[in-house]
Amino acid sequence: MKKKISAAAKKRYIRHLLIHAAIIAVAVACVYPLLRILSVSLRPGDKLFSMDLSIIPAGATFSSYARLLKDTMFLHWLWNSLLITLATSFIGVSLASTAAYAFSRFRFPGKKAGMILLLSSQMIPAGMLILPLFLMIMKLKLMNTYLGMIIAYSVSSLPFSIWILKGYYDTIPRSLEEAALVDGTSQVGAFWRIILPLSTPALSIAFLFNFTTAWNEYLVARVVLFSAKQYTWTLGLFELQGQFITQWGMFAAGSMLVTIPVLCVFLYSSKWLISGLTLGSVKG
Amino acid sequence: MEILKSIIEVAWFILLVAAGVAVLVGYLYSHFKFYSRSWFFPAVLAVFPLLALAVFGGLLGGCSFKLWVYFLLAEAAIAAFFCTVVKGRHTVPYLMLAPAFVGLALLLVYPFIFEVYLSFHDLKLTTIMMWKNTGTLPFVGLDQYIKVFTTSPLSEVSFWALFLRTLVWTFSNVFFHVAGGFILALMLNNNIRFKGVYRTLLVIPWAMPQVVAVLAMRGEFHAQYGFVNIFLVKLVEYLPFLASLGVGPVQWVSDYPLLTCTLINIWLGIPFMMVVILGGLQSISSSYYDAADIDGASYFQKLRYITLPLVRPVMMPAVTLGTVWTFNNINVIYLVTGQSGGTEQADILVSALYKAAFTYNRYSYSAAFALVVFAMLFFFSVFYLKSFDAARDER
Repeated sequence: MKKKISAAAKKRYIRHLLIHAAIIAVAVACVYPLLRILSVSLRPGDKLFSMDLSIIPAGATFSSYARLLKDTMFLHWLWNSLLITLATSFIGVSLASTAAYAFSRFRFPGKKAGMILLLSSQMIPAGMLILPLFLMIMKLKLMNTYLGMIIAYSVSSLPFSIWILKGYYDTIPRSLEEAALVDGTSQVGAFWRIILPLSTPALSIAFLFNFTTAWNEYLVARVVLFSAKQYTWTLGLFELQGQFITQWGMFAAGSMLVTIPVLCVFLYSSKWLISGLTLGSVKG
Repeated sequence: MEILKSIIEVAWFILLVAAGVAVLVGYLYSHFKFYSRSWFFPAVLAVFPLLALAVFGGLLGGCSFKLWVYFLLAEAAIAAFFCTVVKGRHTVPYLMLAPAFVGLALLLVYPFIFEVYLSFHDLKLTTIMMWKNTGTLPFVGLDQYIKVFTTSPLSEVSFWALFLRTLVWTFSNVFFHVAGGFILALMLNNNIRFKGVYRTLLVIPWAMPQVVAVLAMRGEFHAQYGFVNIFLVKLVEYLPFLASLGVGPVQWVSDYPLLTCTLINIWLGIPFMMVVILGGLQSISSSYYDAADIDGASYFQKLRYITLPLVRPVMMPAVTLGTVWTFNNINVIYLVTGQSGGTEQADILVSALYKAAFTYNRYSYSAAFALVVFAMLFFFSVFYLKSFDAARDER
């Protein structure tokens, strides 16, 4: 009897060992490109192009970082991105928060049509609306400006934000608002004083989603912005990488500087982001 | 100083948006609130068209009598609508929805209609100045649509080749995303050590900014200095017989651009599927497996009859979403092949659409092209949702 148990344990042990080995292999494949960027960014200028595979190269320096900050407008690009992204996320979440409340708490004619419009807007190919937006921005004489970018970005995440926020509002019991209404606030007051403060987690997730979408956007920026001073960081990095032969070190340094904060925020928030995703889709 | 200037510019714009929202809500509120008063109709007809004229006339330059008549008629229609149909009901939800839906109408619905308009006209590099100055374009009817099917969107590849390539691209990517994600999720769903650490490491491709990930991978597929080829060289050094099988360094980006893009996109997309499927797996109660163990079911029987059916409801929306995302993925292909002189051997429909508009400056052509692609996607989703509903009804 004893021997049989140990045999089963041994079998399980081997199985776990195999699983560990397989997962580690895949994990290496997932992480290795990031480590390569780190490695390239640390290489000294004369050894940028080598067949070296070590993570910390011989004679590692931060000279690529120094050159990136000194010789290019990288900080300026980051600042442009930050400003555009913060403004779009702010506008997007503000609009979504009230719209989602209307969908969550009220019955009114056109509710279903509105929800369907939101869902079907997700079916529109992303590349399709870039052209008319580009022409509109040109007509408004907002090419190459922050405002043009903010206008182009501001509603792109709106349907999804409304969807997540509605899902969250649905979980807040109505009795809370009813109590407030009995105490004499208006419906709008109840929303402002009770629902909004309670929804801080969902609001921050929606904000984060808006933020990452705009922060990582490339295709619209490519057509709206054309002077290096107005570039967002995505355009800047593309430019550096385009001159592949000369600027690989600076490209890698810039990539590291952008990736690390994004990675931290993403890993910190991924749990909620995913629950928001699945919540929205399952309920749909 | 410049920073201060940019902050003021953006803050000013946000205030402008806020003011716009306030005006919109106030406008609608006055209609909801006072529609039944006797002075309502004359008052709104007197006030709002003049206000609108002041605002829009100032913005567009020139306040004409004709414009005022338009505003007056529009206001009369809106006021009549409020008096006869809306009658002040559902004030709160409509006011709360109005800003978001006006935003969507201006930046989603209007561009869409504009795209339809463009597709029946001829806007290209030679007519764009005319359009800028006069706002009119030559009407060409269905010409652009005919051209979509008869001429190449780019320089040589045809529409049908792009279509086939898109199918191959979408199918192979989604297949590997789902298969890879499923296998990884099954492995992670065991009671193993370092589970949290593994999961964190495995989502890194998804968490990295896509532009960085794709550009870096593009560099790594470089023929000489990218690690992919360095590995291949080392592999052949250790196992010389592989060389006789044709394994060796490859000119990835120039010779096999579509394969390169696919490999990069598979690498990018697996983590999302893994996380979604893992969520589904974790929600399956272990009592099903215990019961199956008592009945002596094998591992694959459990997989086939318990795991798959129970993960399906979580997986299907993610697969649908993944299919639409992959179909619409311009980023990966454009970032890998979009530079001047880049190949068109990897282009799928949407990336060709983007390049036709902004590399070749064929605006109207690309609008017609976009509508064709949209129609395909639309029929796919309708058909798909129908079959999905039918499958649900059967059970």
